[in-house]
Amino acid sequence: MIRILDPTVAPEPTESTLAKRVGDLDGKVVGLLSNSKVNGDVLLDLVREELATHYRLGDVVIMTKSSASRVADDAVLDTLARRCDVVVTAVGD
Amino acid sequence: MRSSPARLTADALSVPGWPEAVETYFDRGWSDGLPVVPATEDSVRACLDAAGLDPGTVVLTEPVRRRAVTAEKVAINAVLAGCRPEYMPVLLAALDAMADSAFTLHGAITSTGGSASLLIVNGPVRHALAFNSGTNVFGPGWRANATVGRAIRLITLNALGAQPGVLDRSTQGHPGKYAYCIAENEEENPWEPLHVTRGFARGASTVTVFAAEGPHNVLSHYGATADAIILAIADSMAGLGSFSRGESVVVLAPEHVAMLARDGWTKPRLREALYARARRTRADLKRGGKVAGAVTPDDETHWVHRGTGADDIHIVVAGGGAGGHSAFIPSWSRERNSLAVTREIRLAAIPRGGAS
Repeated sequence: MIRILDPTVAPEPTESTLAKRVGDLDGKVVGLLSNSKVNGDVLLDLVREELATHYRLGDVVIMTKSSASRVADDAVLDTLARRCDVVVTAVGD
Repeated sequence: MRSSPARLTADALSVPGWPEAVETYFDRGWSDGLPVVPATEDSVRACLDAAGLDPGTVVLTEPVRRRAVTAEKVAINAVLAGCRPEYMPVLLAALDAMADSAFTLHGAITSTGGSASLLIVNGPVRHALAFNSGTNVFGPGWRANATVGRAIRLITLNALGAQPGVLDRSTQGHPGKYAYCIAENEEENPWEPLHVTRGFARGASTVTVFAAEGPHNVLSHYGATADAIILAIADSMAGLGSFSRGESVVVLAPEHVAMLARDGWTKPRLREALYARARRTRADLKRGGKVAGAVTPDDETHWVHRGTGADDIHIVVAGGGAGGHSAFIPSWSRERNSLAVTREIRLAAIPRGGAS
């Protein structure tokens, strides 16, 4: 018998808490965050249109990451957190 | 060197023998598709001893997927790849470079662009560890190049979780994703080597990492002049397929660099000339689907260069003595999201921290 070693690394556990759910979107401010690649904005436009057929949305805040490869800038995340009730993000490519 | 008394913490599996061990690594999805060398406590400890590190030392953190990679896991993957223990400092320096935020590790190892981490080794370590910088430099035949490059891929797969089709979404990838490690042929470089240009002492040993496409061959046999060679390289760099504002690595064949030096060219002048000539009109970029929108009359005279300046072109000399074959290697990054990073290789490697 020989004993062989596992080369993999598991993710570090972290704790996070879900934000309070909003129930419905009537009058709510919706953020749309694109990853900045091709068609991310197109997909989010479709999401906005679809949501608008079901709810009377409040403002819609449209933002784009500066780089698809990186986490969104703090300023973008802060703006979304401050202004929006919900945020939808899309990965275009 | 020292031997750490600390216990290894990796899970261990008992198997009847060597063939079953190899199959177990396949069955668990812990290989790159080729057989690996089973990692035992003795072989892993030999790597840790060569690195002078305790098994629990964290050498790289990847915050997007929350992975903390310890020296022990690097050593296990080094054994799987077939590395000799003394290669460990090269791996540790390369991983430290990949953890630099300028490299953008998460994007580089998962993007549809399908890049591989090209390693370029400079300095005395090339000879000490027998890295190939000559004939067939991108090809097989040298253990140090093959296994160091492979270990970086296995760490990417096993320790960083970039499994193809799961987190690695490469549309096509390229063969450098098995192993992509060269050394510079400093002995046949009439100019300063890469690491000196990047601010390190000539006597230092370094590794430069570059999230890269595969090498594009630049054949120029018959001109036998600097002008012919520069024209051919610049034309390759201006090709629409890989055209972007990203960095470039140009690997000059010894024959080509000798002609350039003979005709009075220097490395800074070559970088300037390639930057000036590797350009396309915005009209071409639109026609080729590289830029959105319809072509306007202004686009026909609006020139876009490859990279953002001459410093974005990294010149390296490598390859065998015969043949007019250089290589152009485009960055994976189309802009400034991932840049080449160089680290000194130290026997007692002390990592510097996290990545983004």
